[in-house]
Amino acid sequence: MALTITCPICGKRNGYEFRFGGEEKGPRPEEEGLTPEAWCDYVHLNKCVAGVQEEWWCHKDGCGSWFKIHRDTTTNLEKEIKTVIEEAGK
Amino acid sequence: MFSKNKPMWGKKPPLKSSYDVVIIGGGLHSLATAYYLTKEYGITDIAIIEKNYIGFGGAGRNTAIVRANQRTQYNVPLYKEALDLWPVLTKDLDYNLMFNNCGNLNLMHSEAAMKAARMTIATAQFHGVESHLIDAKQAKELVPALNISEDITFPIHGAMFHPPGGVLRHDAVVWGLARAAAAKGVQIHQQTEALGIGTQNGKVASVTTSRGAINTKQVLISAGGYSAALIYDMLGIKLPISVLTIQAMVTQPLKPVLDHVVSSGAYHCYANQTLKGEIATGAHMDPWPNYTTLNTAHYIKHQAEALSEFLPCLRGVRFMRIWGGLADMTPDMAPIMDGNEQVEGFFMDCGWGYFGFKSCSAVGKYMAQFMATNQCPDMLKPFALKRYQEHRLMGETAALVNYTPDN
Amino acid sequence: MMNRLNHLPTLKIDTARKISFTYKGKIYYGVTGDTIASALFANGVRIFGRSLKYHRPRGLYSLDGECSNTCMQVNGIPNVRCENTLLEDGMVVAEQNVKGSAENDMMSFMDKLDWMMPAGFYYDVMHKPAKLWPVAMKQIRKAAGLGKISPDFKMPGKYDEIFLNTDVCIIGGGPAGMMAALSSAEKGLRVILMESRPWLGGFFEYRSAEYKDGQTLHDRANDLAAQVRARENIRLFTHTACVGTYNNNLVTGFQIGKKSDVFDQRYVEIRAKSVVVAAGCIERPLLFDNNERPGVMQIACALRMAKTYGQLPGTKAVFSIGHDLGLEAAIELHDLGLIIDCVADIREDGQDPALMQKLMDRNIPILKGWVAAKAHGRKVVKKVTLSSIDGLMTRTLACDLVVASAGVTPVTGHITVALGTLKYDGHTGCFLPDRMPEKMYAAGRVLGLNDAMAIEASGTLAGLKAAADCGAGSSEEIGKVAKIVASLPGPARGSKLVTAPVKGRKSFICFDEDATIKNIKQALAKGFDVPELIKRFTATGLGPGQGGIPGHNLPLYVAKYQTLPDVSIRPTNVRPPLVPTLISTYAGTNHTMFKITAMDQMQRKDGGIFRNIGVWQRARYFSDDFSCKKEIENVRNNVGMLDGSTLGKFRIHGPDALKALQRVYVSDMSKVKEGRIKYSAMCNDDGCVMDDGVVVKLGENDYYFTTSTGRAGQTAEWIRYHTRYDGWDFALVNLTDSMGVINLSGPNARKVLEKVVDIDVSNDAFGFSAYREFKIADTIPVRAMRLGFVGELSYELHVPASYMQSVWIMLKEAGKPFNIQNFGVEAQNVLRMEKCHIILGQESEQRTNLLDVGLGFLWDRTKSEAKTVGAVALRQAENDPARLKLVGFKMENNGRAPKDGALIVDTKVRGYVCTARDSFALNEAVGMALVEADLSRIGTRLEIFEDECGDDRIYGTVVKMPFYDPEGKRMKM
Repeated sequence: MALTITCPICGKRNGYEFRFGGEEKGPRPEEEGLTPEAWCDYVHLNKCVAGVQEEWWCHKDGCGSWFKIHRDTTTNLEKEIKTVIEEAGK
Repeated sequence: MFSKNKPMWGKKPPLKSSYDVVIIGGGLHSLATAYYLTKEYGITDIAIIEKNYIGFGGAGRNTAIVRANQRTQYNVPLYKEALDLWPVLTKDLDYNLMFNNCGNLNLMHSEAAMKAARMTIATAQFHGVESHLIDAKQAKELVPALNISEDITFPIHGAMFHPPGGVLRHDAVVWGLARAAAAKGVQIHQQTEALGIGTQNGKVASVTTSRGAINTKQVLISAGGYSAALIYDMLGIKLPISVLTIQAMVTQPLKPVLDHVVSSGAYHCYANQTLKGEIATGAHMDPWPNYTTLNTAHYIKHQAEALSEFLPCLRGVRFMRIWGGLADMTPDMAPIMDGNEQVEGFFMDCGWGYFGFKSCSAVGKYMAQFMATNQCPDMLKPFALKRYQEHRLMGETAALVNYTPDN
Repeated sequence: MMNRLNHLPTLKIDTARKISFTYKGKIYYGVTGDTIASALFANGVRIFGRSLKYHRPRGLYSLDGECSNTCMQVNGIPNVRCENTLLEDGMVVAEQNVKGSAENDMMSFMDKLDWMMPAGFYYDVMHKPAKLWPVAMKQIRKAAGLGKISPDFKMPGKYDEIFLNTDVCIIGGGPAGMMAALSSAEKGLRVILMESRPWLGGFFEYRSAEYKDGQTLHDRANDLAAQVRARENIRLFTHTACVGTYNNNLVTGFQIGKKSDVFDQRYVEIRAKSVVVAAGCIERPLLFDNNERPGVMQIACALRMAKTYGQLPGTKAVFSIGHDLGLEAAIELHDLGLIIDCVADIREDGQDPALMQKLMDRNIPILKGWVAAKAHGRKVVKKVTLSSIDGLMTRTLACDLVVASAGVTPVTGHITVALGTLKYDGHTGCFLPDRMPEKMYAAGRVLGLNDAMAIEASGTLAGLKAAADCGAGSSEEIGKVAKIVASLPGPARGSKLVTAPVKGRKSFICFDEDATIKNIKQALAKGFDVPELIKRFTATGLGPGQGGIPGHNLPLYVAKYQTLPDVSIRPTNVRPPLVPTLISTYAGTNHTMFKITAMDQMQRKDGGIFRNIGVWQRARYFSDDFSCKKEIENVRNNVGMLDGSTLGKFRIHGPDALKALQRVYVSDMSKVKEGRIKYSAMCNDDGCVMDDGVVVKLGENDYYFTTSTGRAGQTAEWIRYHTRYDGWDFALVNLTDSMGVINLSGPNARKVLEKVVDIDVSNDAFGFSAYREFKIADTIPVRAMRLGFVGELSYELHVPASYMQSVWIMLKEAGKPFNIQNFGVEAQNVLRMEKCHIILGQESEQRTNLLDVGLGFLWDRTKSEAKTVGAVALRQAENDPARLKLVGFKMENNGRAPKDGALIVDTKVRGYVCTARDSFALNEAVGMALVEADLSRIGTRLEIFEDECGDDRIYGTVVKMPFYDPEGKRMKM
């Protein structure tokens, strides 16, 4: 395995300790005016970027936290390091 | 008969300024669609735009297994037709596609799996596709190398045996279709990159490429694993797709030892012996989206562990080559075929995951019908993009395939 | 057996120690240090095997296993590269792919039929008529393949694995690799050095040419090796082939064990901070007719046969070379006694004058601008025809050895598989590293270098750069060494010509696949113009040699003849494993991966029949009767005990614990009251039901909940995922492995329990749906729930895993008078089915939502939909008539139960049977099915299609659920 992911709490680890959690799409949509199209977009649809994308990972075999990184999907290399989960909520 | 050394898909033509149909991607689905457009509908003014060379992507990287034992009633008839078409295509293309209908054995490792297999088998039989549930002993008779003892991680309870399935020479399908399409006038532009689709009043108007712009009213994107990114880039349409690298590998060539395709869900592994004698094996995808097509140390080791258990004689065999390709996975493991919906004149054929090879013959036929008539054939209606919005996932897999925590 | 050259310092054999082995049924002898190949050669074997397609005789060529020519069956293992495999006592060696013997192969007539087999011929024939193909295919299968493996073959030997972390990993133990190791080790870093041969030294090791001041290259190699071995922070892996490099500097390889090791082969995986690739070069095959006839060898093959194994590679030789190494080898081999008739050098000029002088001193004629055009001899070389490169003049010379080599090819696979790129370099005629992967450096001959000092200095430089990536060393030092490297000779000019002036019908570009120059021309004519496509069309480079022979010849040849003006010369892809690697080696030690509960051993003693269920092993049956009649009836009539420890168990607490539960459960979790159980479900955002379980309130902002077995692993991630933007304050603890669960069920359950516990367990004090905490024997803390999954009076006892066996024994003892018995997962499955309690995954699949399975009553519609996972989708889909609904059914006319997975059909598939059984309690067959909505009304007749039923159908009728004890009196009693 070649992928490594940098967990904000545990540091750089083997990628198999982590679970991929999808492209960054922002928080859950608001209730008001929610259309089936918008909901489908939030639940299912992806941009499938061939290049650097912002995405969620969970350190499932480590501290259990969810965090975001930027990763180049054409090389599997992290690009710039993470926004910590707490900050994402604000 | 041996002197046909003229270029198989014509001289390299200059790019014209307009075509009736432009197809982006030089893989099997594109070539098959172009072939059937010429053959069934007399539409020959077609440009295939391929960034690398034909068969560069999934068409040349799959392990060429074909079968029609899918899970749902929407898929079985389509794959059945695809399977039935191989001998027909061999004849029509006058090219030996080397169809070896050796039959597929899908191993079951628990009572629950046997139950799941029973539903799939019943669905196949209901649609006239031969498929049977057999026990471990019968499986061993078919594949003497199988280890049916209890002391392996996933003991073999039985298998789903699908005699009409088998293996083809995937490159031959690419070259045969390309030759036949080119002979009818289809222009195959290799080393040409599609850069954008121009629209006017909600209709397709043009395609820009690295070699210039083309006017056209119809565009099909069927670029395998690259489709979703292209469709988003060119038209801003997002799809329920995750693109993952899937790996396959071969061992050194051996005299015949494996007469059927053997696969196992529990071991994440399939194995079959090619006509050249190599054991081709693979199956697993990286659990995160990427376009690298890189193989991983993790996976080749996993594969060796799996084969060591259920085909233990292969412990004495050497892996020779591993490679990766792309699988564009949808949450229900069923493809997206749609057209004239988001933009008039725009068609898409993607989300095939690792089923693109098995389906290409029939899909080419129906996509050609769709594009030629502008009417969606009944066979393709269930595969429209809208199903995700309507919460009608296809059920092609019992468990959800989604590269978010949803699985 | 020939006498060996005993006096050479470079020998790796010990002629005093003989080894016996069997070849083709006869006993032969080699010596310690021999490879299988060198031992056979010493015994006069020249033809080692036959080629794949044409059954041409093949022999030693590279002495490095770069083609399948010398693959043999050894101890039953096929395709063993006998040039790289050390001889061992008692080995049984046999030829491959021959009918008769390699010497006299009955299939050798195939060689005359090549005109019938142009590139890709099989695509154009054998499919007409269609009936021909299956027959032809059988013959193809038989003819293809090299070695044989028996289906019942048991691989002998021990296989191990080792996973290492290091600062610097160096691939290649030649001069550059050793210098790199030393320079980074001097910085105090941990260094791993991998070398595929059993010894260090690489390019210097077998050569007697001068290094400096009278010291030979061989002695220099030994000096460096001694320095490397003296460093404690260099971990040395000799006889370890690197097979893969990956990004983030992961390196894999396999190590061949020595006699003293506990393994025969070991998988090695190294995570390094930085990597140095010093893998050297292989030779570039010269393309001429019969260029693979036994007796044609590459330079290093001929030289190493003499210097390493003490055998002259022939008696009378002709050289056809394009590189100074050929001149050097000619001098060395001449001095060892080989008669050299002539040296043909492709180059018109540019030879090292010192070497030219030495050749003249020895009266070895040299032809500049000449090249071998054809080797003669039916089985082995007897003569060779040389030609001027313009093809205008030829000469034919008698000989039994043709040393042929066009030049060198850097081994760059380690760089390209890690996503580095190469660039064609016109000066050397090689593909040289262009963009290196991050923190990976090339050193030595990989860079095209040939000068000994330059090779070493480049190694030092790479070692320093790798050290700098680990934070050691200075940039001044790197700059200093870089200057030294720049001052030394750079890459030598290489020969660009790769082909002799012949048509190439028998000039083999790929030995493994019998692909000739003519085949390549045919492919080009057919319109294949990219090397990668030609590779596929002609199979060039796809054989067991993994592209070593055709690697650079193919793209160069194609570049020369293709018509595209704008395509730069690009090499074909190299793919791992870089060296063919045994599956047993990759597999290493066996990895067992199941979890067992605290009750595992006791249940096995009680006759439990275990099955793998998810990540667990669970007791599925307790007798050979898989209908579980006795187990089921005992629960219905007396009392049974089930190990439910695999249930997911969690505690969530903290100020925002309730908010988190509200997010993921569909019910209003604020209604969970202390002392009571709340049953609820979790959906995904598509409304599909993912999990069900119970929640209890332990205290303020403190909850305990269960999940299904299959979801235990993901639930914590799930809850954190769906609250990841909220910044809520809660702690979530997975208690699945630390708590066990005993399910005590049956009408006598209370009588058993009251004997064990001190609290009042009467229906009034501890009624249905209640939750109690107490201690058994003042010691064992128990969380007890009154549930009714199997439809009887039932207690679910959650006990710390370490106390599980104690509680189990106590209950078993107390239950004796009431005939307490184990029951397994299958009995539970039938019991709960009779109650129509669903199991997710059995009565649901990925597309089934909460409403479909009749659990809509759990959904609290007053909660914010967008803030409750799944609720939006449930509302959007709730009026969709096309959805499948879960129904109960009975079989008509007291018929048997259909098989699980049978279809509900009319002219189409309309649904399927989830679970159905012949119920002992009801004395009839019942089941649950997911069917389209219009079939879900009570009384609807269901047409059931089972596998193998042919035209026969069986029928059921939709009935009310549940089937057993519809009022639920029994579980509430």
